[in-house]
Amino acid sequence: MDKTNFGKHSSLLTGNESIALGANAAGVNVAVGYPGTPSSEILPFLAKICKEDTAVNWSINEKTALEIAIGASIGYKRSMFTTKHVGLNVASDPLLTVALTGVRGGLVIITADDPGMHSSQNEQDNRFYAKFAKIPMLEPSDGEECFDFAKSAFDISEKFDTPVIIRTTTRISHSRSILSAPVPISASSLDFNKGGSLTCAENPHLNKPYKKDIEKFVMVPVYARKRHKTTIERLKYLIDFSNNSGMNEIEYRSRKFGIITSGISYQYAKETAPFASFLKLSFSYPVPDILVKEFIKNVETVVVIEELEPFIQNEIASMGIGIKGKEYFPRDGELNPDIVFQGLVAAGFLYNFGKNSKSGTQIQTQSHSQNKISIPPRLPVLCSGCPHTSVFYALKKLKVPVMGDIGCYTLGAMPPLNAMDSCISMGLAFGAAQGLSLTKSSGKKTVGILGDSTFFHSGITSLIDAKYNNSNFTAIILDNATTAMTGGQDHPGTGKNLSVSQSISNKIDIKKIIEGIGIDEAYIIDPYDYIETFNILKKALNSDNLNVVITNRPCVLYPKKLDLGKKFKIVDGCNGCDLCVQTGCPSILMSSAVNASNDKRIPFIDDSCIGCSICKDICVFNFIEEVK
Amino acid sequence: MVNTACSNNNVNILVCGIGGQGVVLAGKIISRAAFESGMDIKTSEVHGMSQRGGSVSTHIRYGEKIYSPIIPGNQATILLSFDIYETARFAPDFAGEETVIISSGCGKIPSWTPKCQTDIYTVSGFLETNFKFLNLINDKKIARDLGNIKVSNIVLIGLLSVFTQISEEIWINAIKKNVPKKTVDININAFLTGKKNYANKIF
Repeated sequence: MDKTNFGKHSSLLTGNESIALGANAAGVNVAVGYPGTPSSEILPFLAKICKEDTAVNWSINEKTALEIAIGASIGYKRSMFTTKHVGLNVASDPLLTVALTGVRGGLVIITADDPGMHSSQNEQDNRFYAKFAKIPMLEPSDGEECFDFAKSAFDISEKFDTPVIIRTTTRISHSRSILSAPVPISASSLDFNKGGSLTCAENPHLNKPYKKDIEKFVMVPVYARKRHKTTIERLKYLIDFSNNSGMNEIEYRSRKFGIITSGISYQYAKETAPFASFLKLSFSYPVPDILVKEFIKNVETVVVIEELEPFIQNEIASMGIGIKGKEYFPRDGELNPDIVFQGLVAAGFLYNFGKNSKSGTQIQTQSHSQNKISIPPRLPVLCSGCPHTSVFYALKKLKVPVMGDIGCYTLGAMPPLNAMDSCISMGLAFGAAQGLSLTKSSGKKTVGILGDSTFFHSGITSLIDAKYNNSNFTAIILDNATTAMTGGQDHPGTGKNLSVSQSISNKIDIKKIIEGIGIDEAYIIDPYDYIETFNILKKALNSDNLNVVITNRPCVLYPKKLDLGKKFKIVDGCNGCDLCVQTGCPSILMSSAVNASNDKRIPFIDDSCIGCSICKDICVFNFIEEVK
Repeated sequence: MVNTACSNNNVNILVCGIGGQGVVLAGKIISRAAFESGMDIKTSEVHGMSQRGGSVSTHIRYGEKIYSPIIPGNQATILLSFDIYETARFAPDFAGEETVIISSGCGKIPSWTPKCQTDIYTVSGFLETNFKFLNLINDKKIARDLGNIKVSNIVLIGLLSVFTQISEEIWINAIKKNVPKKTVDININAFLTGKKNYANKIF
């Protein structure tokens, strides 16, 4: 495991890039997914390095993506599906049944979990999906393993006739580490590479002509019952593999202290307690029962270190072995070396070892952390010139209930805008707006608001439902022509995609979808014109119909950073009324100057202004002017 | 926070700032330079929501053998910061007594948090009192004098390079590989200015 010499072929890559390289080395033929932090960089990187006949594409949502991957597997090709943790919920319907049918070409599912919720609405532990579906799971602990596991997952999938889950976390996906394996020439020109090349694997069992197998792939009860038995039988072989494949390994050091761990937790534990013995689980479901028993027999005190849920701990407990873990380590948030250290002190590892050992593990306490200063939190905000700003500003003024959704525009819920009242799941907005308007509890017309990519992902279905059920809320689609929050990925509304079809325009017009649903009252507005935005929203909210408002300005970051070439300034006479500050625009800052009556501070606009002019419309006193 | 037992030969660099300021890019340049020097290296960066003007950090660790991609508490060798408020936010958790702090002397305070009025002088006073090896730089002015305020990060990286064993040639290559072609010259100039100014103690 210790690799201190790096060959001239090494590269410094993120976990996501290494997964892409591993899948490519396995000859993946179809790779699909929906963007979601921290999984989003796998497919774009794969698209840059893969062979020409590989289809690498964004799909409309995770369920569709997994279904595409399943179809490719049925067609004897290796396929991969990438998603963030919550995206696997969307794809869980096909997942739990393809677990029964098994595969033809290797089928690998990458789920990137987000403990600590850097950019997510929950921190669910997707290891449960492996157990739920009775399928194997691999957990890499660094980039090297991301490459190796992504490569071997396809073999495991074909060997055991099962989909395979590779579960990463943010600190695996977004950490860079050294990959010593050679990479394809197409990748060697990229960042962080020292050269080298590689040819792709060819599996002789693949590339067969299509044939029917109704008993395997048609999960009607009569066949599904048989396949379920096969699935349960398969688990036995998987446990055997888990014990004997060498992917799970024991490193004996101290026979007093042992740690069972997986993924990034292994790195924190190794950093903190290098003296301990380790059972490192890489093939972490099903858990290797024989290895666990052997390890616990040979080491005096053993603890489980795992992020989030007591998954490994409960698997071991279900073998009839009492073992501690969550007694010392938190069940929420990310781990880090300090939390692992504190847990190991509580478990008696570091204190005891420090006292008794000749190598003298020193434990020092630092006093620096006592010296703190109150710094205001710096929460994420909508960008300077973001077209969402004026819509949320207007909604705040209109004081209506707003069922929101997931994307950059979720930031509309943050102060000072505070103009969105829910963020729960992708595509929630229009469903929740229908539900809330049924209650009439607000006494006002309800707004449902989401972005273009979310509309395609799962907003369409609930808008159709709203029309079907005679609902009468106002649906706002903030169309900025990209999937902004995750880094600007394409979607059906942009008409472009990652793969060879990049030049073919398949742009799907949101306005035509609305017309097709039969919603007659639809407005397209320019959100940089705040007056128009406010008036049309007011009109839409005064109407009793189900209606749609679509904004038409592109994102200021993607596909390219925008600057409208104008600058604005706050002129003399400003009385510090705060209206412009309430937009939350990061270019509007507070100066130390005060107004004429000496009771309010006056804001100023700094040079990060891109010239959207929203604040000029908002300043009813006309103290904001363009810089000529 | 406590010091964990770890190898002391590793170099730990924490880069912090505001989302959109170039923290990820600076992290890439520093990692590239450390990587080219032939050491084991791990980094950890943040993508997604926090990048939208929030408080962000990138961890870079290099040495003989690196396990955790996250720097343990108070064990940063160098703390590089593009905003003085962020320096004060991260330093108590990541800097120790020997940590070299290289920070922009400028800072951006979100205007809609009127309740917290900790001004920039209080912040710099706090840092001066608590951290021996503090370097507060007027990076924005230096960058503006060079002709482009956007190269202020590279000025600070130039200063950071003084505290590493990595050669100037490797640093310059790392910059070349990570900045737009048109801006290579001004970025190298910014790096050298940052480095030279430290030697001349003109900050």
